Amino acid sequence: MNAAIVGQMVVSGALMGLVYALIAYGFQLTYATSKSINFGQGEMVMVCAFFSLTLTNLGLPYWLMVPGGLFFGVLLGLFVERAAVRLALEQKSEGWILLTIILGLFFFSAAENIWGRDDRPFPTPIPSEALHVFGISITPLEISVAVGVFTIMGLIELFKRKTLLGKAFEAVSVDRDAAELMGISATHTVMLSYGLSGMSAAVAGILVSPITTVGPTMASVLVLKAFSVAVVAGLDSGFGVVLVGLFLGSLESLTSFYVGSGWREAPGLVLLILALAVRPTGLFGKTVIRKV
Amino acid sequence: MKKVAVALLLSGLMVTQAMAADTIKIAITGPFTGGSAPMGASMRDGAKLAIAEINADGGVLVGDKMMQFEVIERDDEAKNERGALIAQELASMSDLSGVIGSVNTGVVMAGDRHLQEQGITKIITPAAGSSSMTQWSKAGVKDLSIFRFAAHDGIQSAMVVEEAINRKFTKVAILHDSTNYGVSGRDDLLNQIKIQGNKLEVVAVDKFNIGDKDMTAQLEKAKSGGAQAILIWGIGPELAAVSNDMAKLGMKEPLIGGWTLSMSNYIDNAGKNGNGTLMPQTFIEEPITPQAKKFIEAYYKAYNVTRIPSPVSAAQGYDAVYIFAAAVKQAKSTDTHKIKEALEDLKEPVHGVIATWQKPFSKWDPANEDTHEAFRRAQVVMGMVKDGRVVFGNDADRQRLIKNATVQKGK
Repeated sequence: MNAAIVGQMVVSGALMGLVYALIAYGFQLTYATSKSINFGQGEMVMVCAFFSLTLTNLGLPYWLMVPGGLFFGVLLGLFVERAAVRLALEQKSEGWILLTIILGLFFFSAAENIWGRDDRPFPTPIPSEALHVFGISITPLEISVAVGVFTIMGLIELFKRKTLLGKAFEAVSVDRDAAELMGISATHTVMLSYGLSGMSAAVAGILVSPITTVGPTMASVLVLKAFSVAVVAGLDSGFGVVLVGLFLGSLESLTSFYVGSGWREAPGLVLLILALAVRPTGLFGKTVIRKV
Repeated sequence: MKKVAVALLLSGLMVTQAMAADTIKIAITGPFTGGSAPMGASMRDGAKLAIAEINADGGVLVGDKMMQFEVIERDDEAKNERGALIAQELASMSDLSGVIGSVNTGVVMAGDRHLQEQGITKIITPAAGSSSMTQWSKAGVKDLSIFRFAAHDGIQSAMVVEEAINRKFTKVAILHDSTNYGVSGRDDLLNQIKIQGNKLEVVAVDKFNIGDKDMTAQLEKAKSGGAQAILIWGIGPELAAVSNDMAKLGMKEPLIGGWTLSMSNYIDNAGKNGNGTLMPQTFIEEPITPQAKKFIEAYYKAYNVTRIPSPVSAAQGYDAVYIFAAAVKQAKSTDTHKIKEALEDLKEPVHGVIATWQKPFSKWDPANEDTHEAFRRAQVVMGMVKDGRVVFGNDADRQRLIKNATVQKGK
């Protein structure tokens, strides 16, 4: 076993794993407050990437494009909440499942019609020439993904813990009814969570696009992995997704090197089955006792 | 030149005025929108350029009458079901002389049988995989109205292996995508290595899926095996991912593979990492011969561009029309069955932009698909990506084409 190769595989895989983790984090944010998931999260990543690409093509510099893209993500998140989730939640129905899937399909068709079906390069000022550290090649672009993922997750977690609005967010996550009795508007908190989730989708889109290129199907593979990561980690753990994401990414990469690239997807699925069999609430999930 | 451009603009008007009986109805089909659009649209534009030139010269002499071409355009959007519908529609037209087009193997498989049932002559260009012809030889069809005007995978894989040997490589890795196209490409390559004397040692064979972005594992295998070149069979976006990951891993070995490496979604997404990539091409956008110069200039002028999206497709569409027109003239008829018979036995050489075509097709023999295949090794050259364009990979090819052109002129 060659240490440099193993190192390279682990590092490359772990970086993809961080992207899974960021998308999984978007699932968690909305699940925490509303027990609902946006099944169109992958399409949001894609639409945000296309929107940011359009901003770049309009001549906006990178540092202006990023906030523009994030703002668009927030709006898109709020739109999903209003159009697909709010009514279903009010009626205590599971309609949001179908509605978010439909919205995702709608985003997909819209993107195909507005931007076309081609995969396009995403220009970025971050250089892509590889640096070599202990025989491992890594590009500044990949480092930017890691830095971006940790920054956005760190900021959102800080916000949840240190600000009043964030505390309200946590309160609704823990017990929606009790929080409402304390005067916290659950509807507004759910809106906030969808906005944040949309923003994390935009961050994922902007960070990953220079590596994966932008196209209507860019997120369809990523989002499936992200879903596994979210379920294995537990849908209500914050940083658990990072650990599981890193682990899954490296495992995939090592499997495709040592077993064969046809088996790449297998360990993730085995992990998912094991996790669901042994700990249905996820590795880092909390077992909630529901009083009836 | 101006005449052609004007004729091109007017051709739509003129054909509606002409009486149906006075025109040669030809259908052009292909993906004009969507992911395969660069190929489909370039083919269409090349074909229409040839038609505009012919019409501007008064048309084709059919018997004792000069007849103009009338074009029917259909966009199959690279969708199999659209392709089937279009083929059904075309098959039901009693006065259709022929069809030119198709890029996607699936579309061809879904649609061509409707045309074959009615015996409507079709020239497949610019692409479509091997199964578009083997479906007929396997079925043992005796009388076939489908012709192919594209460098088939067999020629391409032979050239890829030959190129690796010529460049004195001894160790190669084979990467391919997991689709039918990629898997049959891998088999062709392995087979060719055997045929060409086992001069290449294959140190790694690995695949990737459509949509994969991280190719590190596959490339590490190639790297640790000491591969001096990567032979590859896939399509644009994944090829670009391979190229970009090679740059990351500091691998300078060239990529050599099928003509899909000239797709704009490979060249654009790989950027400067794509430089040096080699692939078989039927046409290179360089005005080295008078024919090529005339064609490229006319194309730029007619469509107001400075780069042909897919030069191979445009040139093949252009030449296919001239070959078809020669068959109409020889058949002295617009009847599609007679045109088919003329195509199988063209008496006069056709001076195209890719080559001068001497008897490109012959009577269909289910045991030998080459009878309905126009391209041989001699008409294909090795192209190389350089700063966002495809140029000649070997100067020998370039010199050969220039020499051929001057020989023709001398005749």
